[in-house]
Order: sequence, then structure tokens, then C-alpha cells
Amino acid sequence: METDRFGRDIETDFDIDDPAFNEHFYDVLDTMVARCPVAHSKVGKGYSLLNRYEDVRRAGQDWRTFSSAKGFQPNRPEGMPYLYPEESDPPRHTDWRRALNPFFAPNAVKEFEGQIRADANDLIDAFADRGTCEFIHDFAAQLPGRAFFKNLIGVPVDDLAMLVEAMDAGTYGPVEERAASFGRAIDYLGDFLARRRDEPPRGDLVDLIAGGVEHDGEPCSWEERVSVITDLTFGGIATTTFVMAGALLHLATHPKDRETLVREPSRIPNAVEEFVRYYPPVVALGRTVTKDVEIAGHRFEEGDFVLLNYAAASRDPDALDRPAELDINRESILHTAFGVGPHRCIGSNLARLELRVVLEEFLRRIPDFALKEDTTPEYETGVLRTMTSLHLVFPGGRTEGDAR
Amino acid sequence: MKYTVDGSLCTGHGRCYTVAPTVYAPDDEGYNLRRGDSVEVSPGQDGDARRGARVCPERAIELAE
Ligand code: HEM
Ligand code: SF4
Repeated sequence: METDRFGRDIETDFDIDDPAFNEHFYDVLDTMVARCPVAHSKVGKGYSLLNRYEDVRRAGQDWRTFSSAKGFQPNRPEGMPYLYPEESDPPRHTDWRRALNPFFAPNAVKEFEGQIRADANDLIDAFADRGTCEFIHDFAAQLPGRAFFKNLIGVPVDDLAMLVEAMDAGTYGPVEERAASFGRAIDYLGDFLARRRDEPPRGDLVDLIAGGVEHDGEPCSWEERVSVITDLTFGGIATTTFVMAGALLHLATHPKDRETLVREPSRIPNAVEEFVRYYPPVVALGRTVTKDVEIAGHRFEEGDFVLLNYAAASRDPDALDRPAELDINRESILHTAFGVGPHRCIGSNLARLELRVVLEEFLRRIPDFALKEDTTPEYETGVLRTMTSLHLVFPGGRTEGDAR
Repeated sequence: MKYTVDGSLCTGHGRCYTVAPTVYAPDDEGYNLRRGDSVEVSPGQDGDARRGARVCPERAIELAE
């Protein structure tokens, strides 16, 4: 059967943490879109996936029926505190989004462009003469964290590595250790927020979070505020890395596209949108069904857990022509990589800015680069997806051993 | 041609005004400026209006002749 050539039947017995999904990522997604509007998993308490654009959109927008309040992870680890605004519904969700949105609006993030450009160049300086880099470690894992820390919350950049590590382990690590790994990040950010609460206010995002919002006229709890800064940090450092890496991988292996963007940087923003669609860092996030409902021909019952397969919906031929093709010149890019409905990624404008500036600077400094021979990029996939290594070579200090 | 932005669906993806800046514009927070309104499209800009509506992930923009 078409759906069971991946070592298990992905229609009835899917596992998002299965290494086979990581390995055959696009093949599995495309098979799901084509063959199974709804797929099911037997892992743990079990869960389902919605795979087509229209169904994902309907469920994402209908937060009353598809609630975020019980978390976005299937088989959520015991003892994991909820992350707000992500794991909440209106009105609690709206209280926070209304307060936070202005800090992430297109015009607000534009202010960070110069700093992000300087950081991109700093990181490139460290390897430009070497003729080779491991792009994830040397660049993509660092830039989003710097952009978020320096411009938005002011956490010391030296503590970035520890936070990235804790959040990675909390996402892809052994299930039974995820809560503890995430806990390390929460503890750190809680201490940071408490220190800032006791300092004179600066009128910035951190002050806003430390001051909290009101729900129904009552101030929210301190834990809720720590949870918000954690959610923002998680979103800020755990996602954009993958799109950056995907973009560089594509340009390293498609010289014509690379030359186009070097020659015409004005085409970069459109290419960025296509890279976000094609390299989705957020694969699928969950909702809990609050009342019996039929969608995609399947009857869901109250209490069922459903993943909105954003990555699959961005490859639905009913929403987009030739979805399996990465086309940087595509005219109408419709995708769900930033989610759909009230939880639409709050960082989407910042992520787009980072990606545009990074491509502008990398292509300006290093217009000619390729994948290092005998290396292949490595990936890691669960509800999120990331690349763990990407070796690039380029002229400059290129040595004999780096032949292309 | 007229476009109408459903204020309960627009979540500020910003795709409409990025793809078709001649037709759509953002408000201060990045939502479509004309949320909830029905707006006449200027002559000659029907194509842009359609392109912007097509890329809205929320299907928040409705077009009518
Ligand atoms: C290319 C990069 C990014 C992608 C693809 C992405 C994707 C997403 C998606 C799909 C959601 C929806 C969650 C849901 O449906 O429950 C989301 C929410 C969120 N993202 Fe992002 N994200 C990116 C970058 C960022 C950045 C840079 C930040 C922070 C500065 C961020 C912070 C958040 C937060 C806080 C939420 C929760 C919003 C809410 O629940 O209202 N993201 N993101
Ligand atoms: S693309 Fe859609 S959701 Fe985004 S701003 Fe425009 S109308 Fe609103």
C-alpha cells in the first residue's frame, strides 16, 4: 500500500518522532496530502493529523472547537508548564497578544535591521577567509538568538548557547527528559525576568512582560509572565535557524538561483517566503477537540488530540501549483508555515527581516559557495524540524582539501 | 471591483500588502488597514487585488465585481 512503504502505515500508525519521518520528510508529507486528509497515530494516548490546507485553516481558525489550552505537543510530558500565549485560548490569549503585538509589528522590527546586519557580518567575518564553514554552528544557530536577545529582551548573548541547548533537548531529546531540559530554560528566564522587575523600568518588552496583563480585571500570575518570556524565546531561537539553513542549502546546490539573487537582491523577499514554505521549522502543532465535530470526513470526539500539519498544508496542490518544487520566482506563495488563525506566529515579521538581511549579507560577502564534497546535511524532526549540520565551501582561503 | 477584509479572520500575516502594496496597506500592528471595510479597487488594479487576496493564508479577503 502507498501509505506503508515508510516502515509503518502512515495513515493509521504514524509517529512524528519516527526517524523514518525525518529521513523521508517530503515524501511522507506529499503522500499524506495526496492519500490521507486525516492520518492517525497510536503512539501514547494517540493523536490525529489534518493534512490539507482548507482543513488546517478551518481548524486553526475555529479555536472554540480546536483549543490550544491543553498544549501543542502530542502526549505532552508530565510536569511541563504551559507556554503562553501559545498554549492558551481567547480571552487569555487575546489579552497577551494585544499587549505583545506592537513590539513585533512590521514597523517596530524594522528598527532592528542595522543591528541584525552588523551581527550577520560579525559572524561571517569569523569564517570568510577560511573558505569553509559549518553553517549551522557558525551562523544559523547564532543569528536568530542574537537578533532576539539584543533587540528584544536584552539577555546576555553569552548565555545563548545554554538556552539553545536546553530548548533543543526539550524538543527533540528523549521524551522522559524533555520537561527537565525545558525547565532549565524556564528557570534561567524566570531569574532574568525577576531581576528586571526589580530594576527601574525601561519601557521595553521585558517591562511589559514583567508587569503582566490583566484577565477580567485581575492581574495574571507571575508564572504566567515567566511562561510568556519563555515562549517568545523558544519561538525566537528554535525556528528561523532551519529556514536560514534550508535557504543556504538550496542556493549552494542551485547556482542559477544563487546567481539570480546575487544579481537582483530585490528578489530576496519573495525567495524568503518560498524558503519559509519549503523548509518549515514548525511541522505540526496540536489542538484539543472541545466538542464532537466532523472535519475532512472524519468524526472527532471531545478530548481527541489533533495536529495541524502546517508543513503538509503548505504542499497542498489545491492551494498552490507545483507545491513540491522550490521556485524562488513563484508569483502566488500561499503557505501555512507561520500558522493560521489567532496563533499566527507573532515573530513572523522579525523572522522575515532576519532572513532577508542574512541572505543579502551572505550573498554580498560570499556570492559563490557550494556544499562540501562528501558531506550531506543532517536533520532532526518531531513537531519541529531543524538541520544539525551543513558544510559549505567557497573561494577565499580555500585549501586543497576543500576541492568542490 | 470591491474587496472586503473580514475583521474576524485577518490575523496580520501581511501577505496581502507585501504582494500588492498598491491595493492593500498595513495598520500600525501589521493587520490589513481596512479590516471590516468594503473598499473600491482603483481602476487597473484588479489583478493586484486578486493576487493579494490569493496569498492570504486566512482567506480573509473577499472580492466582488
Ligand atoms: C521562520 C521562522 C518561524 C516560523 C516558521 C514560525 C512558525 C510559527 C507557527 C506555525 C506558529 C503557530 C503556532 C500554533 O499554531 O499554535 C508560531 C507561533 C509563535 N511564534 Fe513563531 N515561527 C517563526 C519565528 C518566530 C520568531 C522569530 C519568534 C519570536 C520572536 C516566534 C514566536 C512565536 C510565538 C510566541 C508564537 C505563539 C503565538 C500565539 O500562540 O499567539 N516565532 N510560530
Ligand atoms: S494577508 Fe490576510 S491575514 Fe494577512 S494582513 Fe492581509 S488580510 Fe490580514
